[in-house]
Amino acid sequence: MSVIAGRVFLGAVLVFLYLPIAVMALMSFNASPFYALPFEFSTTWYTRLAGNAEMQAAAARSLIIASATALIATALGTAAAIALWRFEFPGKRVLQLLLFPPIAIPWLITGTAMLIFFFSVGIGRGTPALILGHVALAIPYVIVVVAARLRTFDPVLEEAARSLGAGAWTVTRRITLPWIAPGIVAGALFAFAVSFDQFVVSYFLATPGDTTLPVLIYTAIRKGFTPEINAVSTLIILASMLLMFLVSRVFRFGGER
Amino acid sequence: MALARRDIVQIAGLISPAYLWLTAAVFLPLSAMLYFSFLSSAPFDGSAPVFSLEHYQAFLDRPLYRGLLWKSIQLGLVVTVICVLVGFPCAWVLAKMIRGRWREALFLLVILPFWTNSLVRVFSWAILLRGNGILERGLDAVLPFDVSLNLMFSYPAVVIGLVHSYLPYVILTTYLSLQALDDSLIEAARSLGARWGTILWRIILPLAAPGIIAGAVLVFVPVVGSVLEPRILGGRAAGTFYGTVIEDQFTAVFNWPLGAALSFILLAVVLACLALTAPMLRKAQT
Amino acid sequence: MIYRQLALTTALVALTTPALADQIRVLNWNGYGTDEDWAIAAFAEATGVTVVHDYFNSEQELLTKLRTNPGAYDVVMINSAFTPQAREEGLIQPVDTSALANFADLAPNMATNADLTHEGAVYGVPWTWGLTALAVNADAFDDLPTSMEVLWDPDLAGRISIRDDALEAVQLAALATGQDINAIEDMDAVVERLAALMPQITTFWSSENDWNQFLAAGDFVVGSYWSGSAERAMGMGLPVAFVVPEEGAIGWLDGLSVATGSGNVEAAHAFIDWMIDPDFYVRWAEAGAPASANAAAAASLPEDSFNRAVLGDPEVVARVQFMQPVSDEDRRVYLELWQDLKAQ
Repeated sequence: MSVIAGRVFLGAVLVFLYLPIAVMALMSFNASPFYALPFEFSTTWYTRLAGNAEMQAAAARSLIIASATALIATALGTAAAIALWRFEFPGKRVLQLLLFPPIAIPWLITGTAMLIFFFSVGIGRGTPALILGHVALAIPYVIVVVAARLRTFDPVLEEAARSLGAGAWTVTRRITLPWIAPGIVAGALFAFAVSFDQFVVSYFLATPGDTTLPVLIYTAIRKGFTPEINAVSTLIILASMLLMFLVSRVFRFGGER
Repeated sequence: MALARRDIVQIAGLISPAYLWLTAAVFLPLSAMLYFSFLSSAPFDGSAPVFSLEHYQAFLDRPLYRGLLWKSIQLGLVVTVICVLVGFPCAWVLAKMIRGRWREALFLLVILPFWTNSLVRVFSWAILLRGNGILERGLDAVLPFDVSLNLMFSYPAVVIGLVHSYLPYVILTTYLSLQALDDSLIEAARSLGARWGTILWRIILPLAAPGIIAGAVLVFVPVVGSVLEPRILGGRAAGTFYGTVIEDQFTAVFNWPLGAALSFILLAVVLACLALTAPMLRKAQT
Repeated sequence: MIYRQLALTTALVALTTPALADQIRVLNWNGYGTDEDWAIAAFAEATGVTVVHDYFNSEQELLTKLRTNPGAYDVVMINSAFTPQAREEGLIQPVDTSALANFADLAPNMATNADLTHEGAVYGVPWTWGLTALAVNADAFDDLPTSMEVLWDPDLAGRISIRDDALEAVQLAALATGQDINAIEDMDAVVERLAALMPQITTFWSSENDWNQFLAAGDFVVGSYWSGSAERAMGMGLPVAFVVPEEGAIGWLDGLSVATGSGNVEAAHAFIDWMIDPDFYVRWAEAGAPASANAAAAASLPEDSFNRAVLGDPEVVARVQFMQPVSDEDRRVYLELWQDLKAQ
């Protein structure tokens, strides 16, 4: 594949990925509350959003919960992935298999199960319950992604470092972690996404009145979405793009050699 | 191989936080669901729980469930295959043809669509795909002849929606493997006269396998139980899958035990699918 | 065991998280009257009690939330077909109607509705009612249809939608075959009609959002719909006409109940009274609302309003069959046949 053809292909896939997002942004400027065509320019939905304190609060809460989830799930998941990769021990296969129930079982069932269980042990609903649930849903994704990166890592490197007298922590910090950095970043981004777009489980765990953005959107479907939802989504995606652009200027995590 | 004491401490220290968390938040709640699946009805009316296998029996007795599960597995396969076929070349370009800061930026760009709300995303696809929608109007404006394009409420619409939702997994996990692949290996093979096909098959794919497999698993497993895309994009013709039938047991009727039983059957079948392909995949990696 | 554990938890939760004295928690559909901003603001001003909402997306989920979160709610909105079940499971408590100044104005036939009352006690205060019938894209018809047969019109193949709901589908087919929706005798006829309906349908809808978007985009021209939602769609400028076919329509009655374990029964009553007040209703109806169960409220609507003109017409009312509770067993049977039809 020539370089030009390759870049064109990647470009085409990016167009596919951003097509609905462009539509989402476009519709936030469309006057029709039913997303009907033809397009008629309007900034009504942004004006309405500016006065919608509930939606702003929900968006802020979602950002906080997703950030916390990404941080915790990435730390816990990376540690577990390293242990699963570094050692052979009895029960390892079982631990690996146990990663699948949270991914495979439909969220509605997991969410219902969490609702009853959290209530019966006194955790109840609210932000702690949300973080507890979201982290658990995100951990398997982090482990699978980091493990995929670890498999490209030659254990000989760790052994060499150890034979030179480095302790386990030094080896991990100086050799292993830098190598798997791209995997950790990808895992963290996935974990963030799992939480930030989680409406089914959150729906059961959010406290009435203190809800998250996806839950707000999900329950709004009964009465009807308004392009206000598109407006807030568009602002979030623009802010994320800006943030990611800055991050990509400062940090190198693509694994450049 | 006997484990040294120090290793055991290390394993426990690294693994237990994640698995204790999973136990508290997922495994224990799901165990309650597993317990429900063996009761004849959910124990909320105060009556004594009655142990029963009837809900597992129902799966065997009603051809509907088997048919839908098979249909959902096929959907999972189709979506996974498309994601891998599209995602692998993307990852290759990203890992080998993009250099410098652009790579980080593109890496992030691939994942960003994930951060948008899935309901908003799916409804945006509806606006694109329907007859007289944005896609048809756009193509009509560009092309000299009349285009008639109505993909809404069809199987292809469901596939498009799902591929869009899950493609980033495959691109990024495959990227993680490909980026670690040493270019000199490929150059050495080429200097020895190996053809591209051979290099791809014998060197690149085996080394990229961990990433491809991880991505494929992260696509296949949730797609088999997917609900949202079928319900909104599938319409009457392609809107009913195994996941939607499970959901009905919780929303249309109060039959948690059956819903739970169907879910655990789903889990078992998905794991069996992975186990069946495991030997093949392991071979691909060596 | 779990049940006992839940009871224990209730006590625990009640101890650790006492409901604020000046707050009540309401469980309802999203966007269904009780959460109108202006109404809860006015209520807070008048009583000092703030209103917090939690929502459900299906009646089963409403019951689930009540069962699993005992003590978490004060006021719940329950369809009268589910009120007896909620009462039998001990999820709601009797309402003290003497605390409701507006109770005397309720339409007598609704205030004594057999599903909302039990042994002389009121468990659900009738609040709103409406119809499930057909709504059409008025631009697509020269003459509005008058019969349910429009659903089976071959010219409209692929331009029909009904809700993805087994019970509603079965009851609509029962109407079309001239049966009592609460005592269907000829199930074969129902199944046959539904099987013939399937190829006509382009998609099922499951929320007002789907319905309005799909109709606005031209995805379908005839769909089953709720009267209040149809009115709201008209108010928002969609070319919608609501049709109560000659075969009849499904009537439903929504009531407000006080949840068992409510920490603020007094404020819960005050809020229910606020909700059945004509002043609240008239303002709510401006934006599109179901019909009010309060006769005084209904009478204070403008003559030409939808709820008076359409739902107030005695000929229409005579055709309505009100939905009664459906046993779990029947629901399962309906769901199974509905799933079979959909999967074909």
